[in-house]
Amino acid sequence: MNVTFTSFPYLSAILLSCVAGLLVILFIPRERETLVKGVSLVFSGVALALSLYVFCAYDRGLGGLQFVEKLLWVESLGIHYFNGADGFNLPLILLTGIVHFTGVLTMVELRGRVKEFFAFSFVLVLGVFGFFMSMDLFFVFVWYDVSLFPMYPLIAIWGTTRKEYGALKLFLYLLAGSALVLPGIVYLAVASGLGTFDILALMRPGALGPGQQRFAFILFYLGFGILAGVWPFHTWSPVGHVAAPTSVSMIHAGVLMKVGAFGILRVAIFLCPIGWEYWAPVMAVLATIGIIYGVFVGLIQTDLKYVVAYSSVSHMGIVGLGLSTVTAEGLSGAVFQMFAHGIMTALLFSSLGYIYDKTHTKLIPDLGGMSKVMPVASGYFIVAALAGMGVPGFASFWAELTVFVSALKVYPALGVLAICALVLSALYMLRVVQRTFYGQRSERYAHLPDVSFSLGLPRMILVGAMVLFGLFPRLMLDLVQTAVIPFMDGLLR
Amino acid sequence: MKWLILGPEIYFLAVAAVFLILSMTRHNGRRDFSTALFLAGLGVVVTLTTVRLEGSLFHGAYRIDLFSQVFKGLLSMGFFLVVCLCSSLNGIREKRHSEFYLLLATCTLGMMLLVSSVELLTLYVALELTSYSLYVLVPLRSGGGQQMEAGIKYFLTGIATSALMLFGMACLFGATQTTYIGELALKLPGLLNTPMAFIGLLLTLCGFFFKLALFPFHVWAPGVYQGAANQVTAFVATATKVTALAMLARLVSMSDGNTSLAHVLIALAIISMTYGNLVALVQKDFKRLLAYSAIAHAGYALIGILSMNPAGYAAALFYAPAYLAMTYTCFLVVVKVASDGRNLAIVQLAGLHRRSPLLAMALMVGVFSLGGIPPTIGFTGKFLVFTAAMERGYFLLVLIAMINVVVSLYYYIMVVRAAFLLEPDEELPRINLSAPATILTAVMVVGIVAGGFFPRYLFQLAGAAAKALQ
Repeated sequence: MNVTFTSFPYLSAILLSCVAGLLVILFIPRERETLVKGVSLVFSGVALALSLYVFCAYDRGLGGLQFVEKLLWVESLGIHYFNGADGFNLPLILLTGIVHFTGVLTMVELRGRVKEFFAFSFVLVLGVFGFFMSMDLFFVFVWYDVSLFPMYPLIAIWGTTRKEYGALKLFLYLLAGSALVLPGIVYLAVASGLGTFDILALMRPGALGPGQQRFAFILFYLGFGILAGVWPFHTWSPVGHVAAPTSVSMIHAGVLMKVGAFGILRVAIFLCPIGWEYWAPVMAVLATIGIIYGVFVGLIQTDLKYVVAYSSVSHMGIVGLGLSTVTAEGLSGAVFQMFAHGIMTALLFSSLGYIYDKTHTKLIPDLGGMSKVMPVASGYFIVAALAGMGVPGFASFWAELTVFVSALKVYPALGVLAICALVLSALYMLRVVQRTFYGQRSERYAHLPDVSFSLGLPRMILVGAMVLFGLFPRLMLDLVQTAVIPFMDGLLR
Repeated sequence: MKWLILGPEIYFLAVAAVFLILSMTRHNGRRDFSTALFLAGLGVVVTLTTVRLEGSLFHGAYRIDLFSQVFKGLLSMGFFLVVCLCSSLNGIREKRHSEFYLLLATCTLGMMLLVSSVELLTLYVALELTSYSLYVLVPLRSGGGQQMEAGIKYFLTGIATSALMLFGMACLFGATQTTYIGELALKLPGLLNTPMAFIGLLLTLCGFFFKLALFPFHVWAPGVYQGAANQVTAFVATATKVTALAMLARLVSMSDGNTSLAHVLIALAIISMTYGNLVALVQKDFKRLLAYSAIAHAGYALIGILSMNPAGYAAALFYAPAYLAMTYTCFLVVVKVASDGRNLAIVQLAGLHRRSPLLAMALMVGVFSLGGIPPTIGFTGKFLVFTAAMERGYFLLVLIAMINVVVSLYYYIMVVRAAFLLEPDEELPRINLSAPATILTAVMVVGIVAGGFFPRYLFQLAGAAAKALQ
């Protein structure tokens, strides 16, 4: 068997920690709920520690693909088990680790069918990790679907508002996306005539003709775009986010939507760069519409979770805009935005989840003056909202700045429109914050306790990550540059 | 010694004889079951020991090669698995139990003969042995009147397709003056542009389209699935499909990549999967739903065969055990949940996650595998089939198939929803699985997932078996 490991297989160890978590949970009796939670915490902690290690240990001077694990899986079809880490996926692997760990911490108060919840969560996160690190198209698709199907039970069983409708809509939409991705993947592998699913082999210039690239790009763009919340395929996302339980919303908006955007990057852009340049204007227009649309629809929402959900549509539009510029800055901005938005949305949903758990409402008119009742919980939400507005000092500021600067160069008109929309988004976020957290205190909720330290911990981690990368953006941008610059240079050759 | 290569066939003939004798003694359900379980288990062992054998018998009409032996292995496993479901055979009156096993054994024997036949008349006789056993098995269920309707429907459509098939064989003989598949494969490619040879081959295929429940020969499937006893349905849904796939691969490979035949098959595949999936959307009864899903799957599997390239045959051969495993898992749940032998409506799965978490999980894995969601063996099967079709440039066909997969997910997810989300109107007792049943369920779940993650060895085997076709 043809095996290549350049070091200890840290990436597989991350996957294994998820599998181990899943298996251990399956064998715990369902009555032992505390034990299940403890086990989940341990294994998600291991995954986080490993992803943090990989993030730090990546040699930035060397660049390229590191931590490579390559193993021939099915030789007659050219399928490899092929994992690797580079500047594109490392931020996202770290993001997944953080969001999953904080998600488990957020759900420590979960009651009812605890065992199944954490089991499904591990399957979901396993798929996401695998997707980010895989460099083989077959596995990309396998992990992609593995990350999708647990969403249905997770939302339909533990969700809230219109949960069954939301879950079904999300499930069918996302799998409809995979119906475009799978033919695309098989098409690429067969059309290249190389008989392999290895991304590195397929991305060599000349492996695919221009016409093939244009055709395959649109399949991938639409297929993954559904998951990335690209307008007009975003309609599943607000409904799904709102219906999902807190940690699932966190993983979902924080990580899963990035799976879509990353799919566009890793599969569509990597393998079909000619198609990328060809379709870039379309991507830019759709992304800008998404940004503006998200802001305007967000303006009129009365449900806090819908506000956050539409802000996600808008922020994912920024990722799309960055990808559509076909420039190095745009690409790095997009990757940074994926990370920053992931942390930010996770924090928004997490703090919102606490308020909802206590008040059992997420309607803005019902709340009000919450900062007097639970100052800490409100604080977390306000911090996240500020980050969402792109206030300097948070990671998303740098990400959005980079994207907009490059967008203004390439598509001046669209860039201006997008920036205007973002100013408006500041307006609506502030309006939400003002109505929910300030003003007349609602007596109904006056007795409610504030966030305890243990429940506050996940939020603190998220705030910490946001501020860390906001104050030291080069921690992230330098890493992303190590991948972006060689990639763009390769294209211009 | 030469006869040793017929080991599995002789063994299953002996099994049938044992049950023939038992059916004449006093009726005892437990005894019949334990005998059947023992003999079926031994049957798997006997068959697997002959996998590597090769040879030819009866003046070349009967060939033992890797292709036939792999399928015999699968059939013996199918037989064993279905017998495993019979521990409480409540759908059939106790005094008929030994007949039930007898017919199951003759049917398996018929299918084993079938996959080794390389001559049209042998093939026809073997097919009829299979069919007649099934004609009796289907109405064997006690109570209702449903089983009679199903039995008559099955019988009438069955003999009608047999007639078509015989006519097709006659045409083939007329066109080529031979009934040997080896010689046909040499003569046919040049003759397929003549109407007689083309129609002859197409009509010969009809017999197996019928077994596979491919449109337009699907009409029997919903009625039979619903009307026959759960265990019989499990057998019809697994073992006969495997055989039909094998035989279609063998017969279509004679045509040597004829495009007109491929076009006809493409049309049938598209109609079959679209029709099956759309009608399945509105089904209430779980077995009936599985029938329509089988019609859809006939379409998917046919894609591998109609690609007419080695990858395609290998994919179809991979699809056969994959389909056996996932469908069987669904029927395992049906049999365990409807332990009194009734039919099972989808809403009756409500609360299954509390009544038996393991069965609920098995059901989820089974239907998601049918729905083609990785990492399951069902996904890998579809992936291989689609890759083969793409190699022939059938992009649109693959796209249509994928759209169909998404449509089908709706009804599969409704099954999962019933098992995990719905709460029953009245509190139902836990389902206690016996230790062997627990192991069997766990093995099926692990097998389906492992087959999805590690398709390598199974695919190599399928590839090697497909080579034996040429």
